Amino acid sequence: MALNTLEFECKSTAATVAVAKPVHFGVVGSGDLEILMSPAKNDGAVKVKVVTPVTGFDDLWRRVVGAFVENAKLGNVSIEINDNNATPAVVTLRLRQTLAEAAA
Amino acid sequence: MSKWSTLLSRSFLESNARERALGLVDDGTFTELVGPFDRRTSPHLETLGEAVEFDDGIVTGIGKIGKTPVFVISQEGRFIGGAVGEVGGAKMVGTIKAAIDFADRIAKDYPNATDEEKPIVAISFETGGVRLHEANAGLLAHAEVMDQLQKARHKVPVIALIGSKVGCFGGMGFVAAATDVIVMSEFGRLGLTGPEVIEQEMGKDEFDSADRALVYRTTGGRHKYVMGDCNFLVEDTIAAFRAQLAELAKLPREKFEELRRIGSEVLVAKQLKGVALAAEMQPKDSRDVWVHAGNPDPVSLALAPVADFRAQAKRLAL
Amino acid sequence: MKTQKKWDNLATDTAERMAQASRFIGNGKRVEPKDIVGLLEAVIRPGDRVNIEGNNQKQADFLAESLLKVDKSKVHDLHMVQSAVPLASHLDLFEAGIAKKLDFAFGGPQAGRVAKFIKEGKLELGAIHTYLELFGRYFLDLTPKVSLICAYEADREGNLYTGFNTEDTPVIVEATKFRQGIVIAQVNKIVDKLPRIDIPAGWVDAVVESPRPFFIEPLFTRDPALITENQILLAMLSLKGIYAEYNVSSMNHGIGFLTSAIELMLPTYGEELGLRGKCCTHMILNPHPTMIPAIEEGWVDTIHCFGGELGMEKYVAARPDVFFIGPDGTLRSNRAFAQTAGHYAIDMFIGGTLQIDPWGNSSTATANRVAGFGGAPNMGCDAKGRRHSTPAWLKCGAELPCMEDQIGKMPRGKRLVVQGVETFGEGREPTFVEELDAWALAKNAGIELPPVMIYGDDVTHIVTEEGIAYLSRCKDMDTRMAAIQAVAGYTEIGLKAKPETTRRLRDAKIVQTPEDLGVDRNRATRDLLAAKNMRELVSWSGGLYEPPARFRNW
Repeated sequence: MALNTLEFECKSTAATVAVAKPVHFGVVGSGDLEILMSPAKNDGAVKVKVVTPVTGFDDLWRRVVGAFVENAKLGNVSIEINDNNATPAVVTLRLRQTLAEAAA
Repeated sequence: MSKWSTLLSRSFLESNARERALGLVDDGTFTELVGPFDRRTSPHLETLGEAVEFDDGIVTGIGKIGKTPVFVISQEGRFIGGAVGEVGGAKMVGTIKAAIDFADRIAKDYPNATDEEKPIVAISFETGGVRLHEANAGLLAHAEVMDQLQKARHKVPVIALIGSKVGCFGGMGFVAAATDVIVMSEFGRLGLTGPEVIEQEMGKDEFDSADRALVYRTTGGRHKYVMGDCNFLVEDTIAAFRAQLAELAKLPREKFEELRRIGSEVLVAKQLKGVALAAEMQPKDSRDVWVHAGNPDPVSLALAPVADFRAQAKRLAL
Repeated sequence: MKTQKKWDNLATDTAERMAQASRFIGNGKRVEPKDIVGLLEAVIRPGDRVNIEGNNQKQADFLAESLLKVDKSKVHDLHMVQSAVPLASHLDLFEAGIAKKLDFAFGGPQAGRVAKFIKEGKLELGAIHTYLELFGRYFLDLTPKVSLICAYEADREGNLYTGFNTEDTPVIVEATKFRQGIVIAQVNKIVDKLPRIDIPAGWVDAVVESPRPFFIEPLFTRDPALITENQILLAMLSLKGIYAEYNVSSMNHGIGFLTSAIELMLPTYGEELGLRGKCCTHMILNPHPTMIPAIEEGWVDTIHCFGGELGMEKYVAARPDVFFIGPDGTLRSNRAFAQTAGHYAIDMFIGGTLQIDPWGNSSTATANRVAGFGGAPNMGCDAKGRRHSTPAWLKCGAELPCMEDQIGKMPRGKRLVVQGVETFGEGREPTFVEELDAWALAKNAGIELPPVMIYGDDVTHIVTEEGIAYLSRCKDMDTRMAAIQAVAGYTEIGLKAKPETTRRLRDAKIVQTPEDLGVDRNRATRDLLAAKNMRELVSWSGGLYEPPARFRNW
């Protein structure tokens, strides 16, 4: 019954982008999620923690967040997500919006 | 998050709790208390395997409108329908308590402070009341908020803002009723028992909760304005709610007592007149009451732009 | 001496039945509601082909329920031929043994029961048709003997007014009456004078004033408040990558939030792209409320409608330059004509689906629901009989690298058929799948063919949040499959995409990402919607649009 917590690391092959300040974005509505993105010294990697009521999508999370990190060239960041069954399209959209917020 | 200036023109209805909180106070003045970075998620939801939110669905903080310190509470309807649990409830209680403590300090240290330099509390309601997943803690939170409202009375005006999707129902309907002022948009809804619960208890013939028009006609801002259940009806923008709040912030503090709808013997007598009227009239629809209040064409009035509605609508005299 | 062959058996049979029914039929062909069951027992014989007018929207519900009350020893084993079976009573007829066989086009809410009844042997399925196909068979081998139809009003002589929601009535009546069949109409009201005559009294045998108005569903109303940012992104891609790219002037929009988003973004993003006057000038469409802002901004020359839409009556009547309005001042919809235009005349069909397979075949069928597709396959295909040309049709045809293998140097156009989907649907169900659920359905329900809504060779474009696959530009199946993989995101199909192949396809403009198209993802917000809620649609309409109660928050 308890919430499912998934923790993993991903590394961009050309990590050059970091966030300067911690940012929060999103609302945990149905099919949606919220994201905290904070600077972290992770040897260039991105540490990810996902908390979700849904199980069985661990690989999908790794791929979706991994591809975002790769495309955004993101490094030394920690990402925390509270999810309520968001689709990959929504996850990617919110990750992009969070990063845009951090850059603003 | 959009820039503050662009937030203002946004629909209050469409915005989220944090955007509303930020836009209600002056640019750059909002300091969030127990925000998402504090990660105070609900332990009850976690145990039940339900999705959690870092702010537990309630944004709390302090900002300023002009010279007035504004303690803001903003509920998020998209997270479990804005239902109030232990953590969110404690944040509400703590914010009102902080406002009272602050008012006491101002009174003590700055006896010459003007009214507009004294704090107010603004609560944007978007909730159906108690979060059933944490029933006892949620109920207790309601009681504690009520307790703080009583303590705040005569010291810190508490202003309810209702213009969100979920509206304000259940236990929080009682809480809103107990505030000093209620500001609504036409899309805000206020009631005690929610539409679905009325249908469940009384049957579809009595109240069809799928009939959105009926629901809004009975609980929506325009009807509440005619009934005198809300004090002000504003346009559906963050700027409009903010402007009303700014106007109220300047009001002499003793004037707030006159804006209350409940909470004195005189007001109880007035409410009882309303009950007697209902028994006598046996209205079949809210529009019957509009006609009784002196609005012969309630349908056109309901469709008129908000400004025209405010100018024309006769409010029920009791 | 040669025996005289009888050439009027049908008319004789009808006359016999009508003689038995005559005691129920009064002046002006009027039948009292209490006599309707008796009337049906008199005119319907076991094994008859019977049509109950079941449209997308208006329903002959009183007659359907009355048919359920007939004496089963007198009326049984009917062969129902009708567009749609959305009412519980339509399927109850099979449960009760009154009906036995079904030929139809659309199952709607009863789709689950259709599948179950087929499996249990309660329902013998003829075929699942498209509307036009079924209408065609009304005039070939599935002509109804008795049709139970539905109109708004009748006059004292039995003339009918079907008005705004004329839909299927003319086709049903013409097929039935001109094969000497029997037409029984339920109407909401009998009046002295009709606004106009849609069906002449001479083609109608009996009229009953229904105890309550017929059931009608606002199927084409989408609340703008529910449109998501991803749908807005897909709409931006469609407008820039397809509408603008091909200058698509005529089209049908399938129902859904993506097309609603497109409609609401014509006056904003579409205007910015300079598409007004070029795109969406001619449409085959129900009166979608979300079209109001674009109509008001002068985008649209004409709209012809399959059916009506609740609440749009006054608005449509007040825009006679755009809609097809009768001399009486009200719209007349007509599904047969709108579908004909939808099949032959439009440049593009754009809509959604539940599943797409690796080759691009798509279906909304699920394993246990026989839903049918209504009119989508007729519009979502390349009409081989088309002979007139338009720029969009020609451009799409010219792109086909394989045309020469089929017709040599002969130029020919192609209908744009666009499927707009998010890579995952509700509950993270993948949209791109190895095998359509239609296969399981075919097996479960014992249907010969998996029900495919749009065949892969008809689909020219797939739009997802990853970008657009221009399937019309693919020279062979390998390229086509790679293009589909490239936009299939994180589904199992999408994971097969090879980055170097995708790169090549992007260079060849066979696949275009939002970035390739210059679509700024950060602009995909609800601020691009010309109306964000129902109230704003009403304002755009100048108060003429009157949304049904369940869509109003005032």
